[in-house]
Amino acid sequence: MPSLKQLVKREERFVSGHRLCAGCGEGIVARMVTLAIEKPFIACNATGCMEVASTIFPYSAWNVPWVHTAFENAAATLSGVEAAYRSLRRQGKIDKDILFLAFGGDGGTYDIGLQSLSGAAERGHKILYVCCNNQAYMNTGIQRSSATPRAASTSTSPSGKVLQGKIQFPKDLASIMVAHNIPYVATSIPGKWNDLTGKVEKAVSYDGFTFIDVLTPCRLGWPHEPSLTMEISRLAADTCIWPLYEVVEGRYKISYKPREKKPVAEWFKLQRRFDHLLKPANEGLLAEIQADVDRRWELLLKKSEG
Amino acid sequence: MRKVLLSGCEASAEGALAAGCRFYAGYPITPQNRFPEYMSERMPEEGGVFIQAESEISAINMVYGAAAAGMRAMTSSASPGISLKQEGISYLAGAELPAVIVNMNRAGPGLGDVTPSQSDYFQSTRGGGHGDYRTIVLAPWSVQEIYEFTYKAFDLADKYRTPVIVHSDGVTAQIMESVDLHLHRKRLPEKKWALTGCRERLPNSVRSLALTPGVLETHNWALAGKYRKISLRETRHSKYMCDDANLLVVSFGTCARICHDAILMARAAGIKAGLFRPVTLWPFPYEELAKLAGKAKKIFVVEMNMGQMIDDVKIAVKNNIRIFFYGRPGGGVPSSEEIFREIKKI
Repeated sequence: MPSLKQLVKREERFVSGHRLCAGCGEGIVARMVTLAIEKPFIACNATGCMEVASTIFPYSAWNVPWVHTAFENAAATLSGVEAAYRSLRRQGKIDKDILFLAFGGDGGTYDIGLQSLSGAAERGHKILYVCCNNQAYMNTGIQRSSATPRAASTSTSPSGKVLQGKIQFPKDLASIMVAHNIPYVATSIPGKWNDLTGKVEKAVSYDGFTFIDVLTPCRLGWPHEPSLTMEISRLAADTCIWPLYEVVEGRYKISYKPREKKPVAEWFKLQRRFDHLLKPANEGLLAEIQADVDRRWELLLKKSEG
Repeated sequence: MRKVLLSGCEASAEGALAAGCRFYAGYPITPQNRFPEYMSERMPEEGGVFIQAESEISAINMVYGAAAAGMRAMTSSASPGISLKQEGISYLAGAELPAVIVNMNRAGPGLGDVTPSQSDYFQSTRGGGHGDYRTIVLAPWSVQEIYEFTYKAFDLADKYRTPVIVHSDGVTAQIMESVDLHLHRKRLPEKKWALTGCRERLPNSVRSLALTPGVLETHNWALAGKYRKISLRETRHSKYMCDDANLLVVSFGTCARICHDAILMARAAGIKAGLFRPVTLWPFPYEELAKLAGKAKKIFVVEMNMGQMIDDVKIAVKNNIRIFFYGRPGGGVPSSEEIFREIKKI
């Protein structure tokens, strides 16, 4: 794995000048992921903040061939690009080794894009799909998604007198991707650059579909202090609400075991979408969420033993 | 009388609630994000169902299910989302299910942008999805009207067992105006055809599949008869200063409202201009327009697209009169002054 010093010397593929918010996690993730890939690659972006803010015509923050597609189609569009490349290569019209990188938000990946994601994974296109998971539809105004954590207040799952934010627990997409028997699935955060870049490097070394789900803080939607983006993402790993792990050819391996597993309330405290959850009246709900985090973590520990 | 300040999205939602709609399934897309947000708050208050679907396709098919179960059901979206819903709308039309779909037009094609547009005119008035069908299309020009038209849309949908489109745009979706919330449907029509459980009656059947030879054609003849009936009965339009007009401006929705001010300017400058506004885009008021066109010397069609409704205007007046056109493609909204300048050129 390249050192930080080596990484910063590489040519930037996602450059400054985009209009993402100050403290936006997506820009950081895009930069790290693209820096970690040394070979030439083609990027595809589903609709979302990253696409809107990085490609306001006639400007572009992408120093690579880049294609945009609607919310539900990143995996499908890139499947087409990759299949065309394979064909051109077979015909001898291209001799370069090119990689394919898809970016989608949690809306375009967990929800509306799940069908094309599953299709591309099953067909086994050589694509790395990175989900910038900020746990709601931030680009359209913070509506809940199936990645939104339980009790988070969003504009369509608001906390009020009766309901305390989102009722459901989030979908476990990494497990769904593991069930596709693809060579590599991982979770990561922007707050640990070596974890993220290392996983990207590993993912693109496989000849097949690979998937990394990156928890990406959104200062407007969570909302949090813009200076805390990296810290909040690390705290998600320290509380195990977002455990860092990889699944290499079906075998689970935990990438980061916190020395001291912090209570999940520590993570909630820094985000206003959970304000109501920390009130005394919601002690029971908080305990229920903590129990779910513990259960999922224990399960992960067990999976990684075998 | 209850006057409140509402955006077009909110007013449309209130119109639906006043009409007894208790099922809303939606999915966010700018410029109608306020719609699902507002419904997520108001539907539970009214004891109704709000579901944020995982996609537009799911939302319209949830409406398909709720409509089959006999509920007044609706969804809303904006142009790219409406494209995704077309399969469901075609199924609703085929299975003769009543539902209301609100389209807050934004500029296309493709992802386009989020600015107001009227470029879905063809899609709305020519069926939109696959198959030989039409949907009733209502085009409001104010927040008050989108409240009333959404309300009315449910009655029309139930009366003819057909999907009804409220065809609006990003302007009316987002501007705020005072709205008189005067409507309230107390009793809903009985739906004997609905799938409500058939323990004490013969089973009902709601379907759009007809494989037996001849059955589909018979079904489509019946649909055609229904559409003809709607065309004869449900055409609506408005006129402003048309009685002595030499120049008949034809425009709909937000664009008509902009034209209205341009016509006032024209009148002040001594130009005898009048406004003809189709309120139902399908069925289009062909006859009413033809009558007026007989008196006027020229017709000026103004749209926020590159000329879609003009096709219907040509059908109406059968090329007996000179037709001028001014349009701005998706992404541009004309001003009244701009249209006035165009009127002066004619």
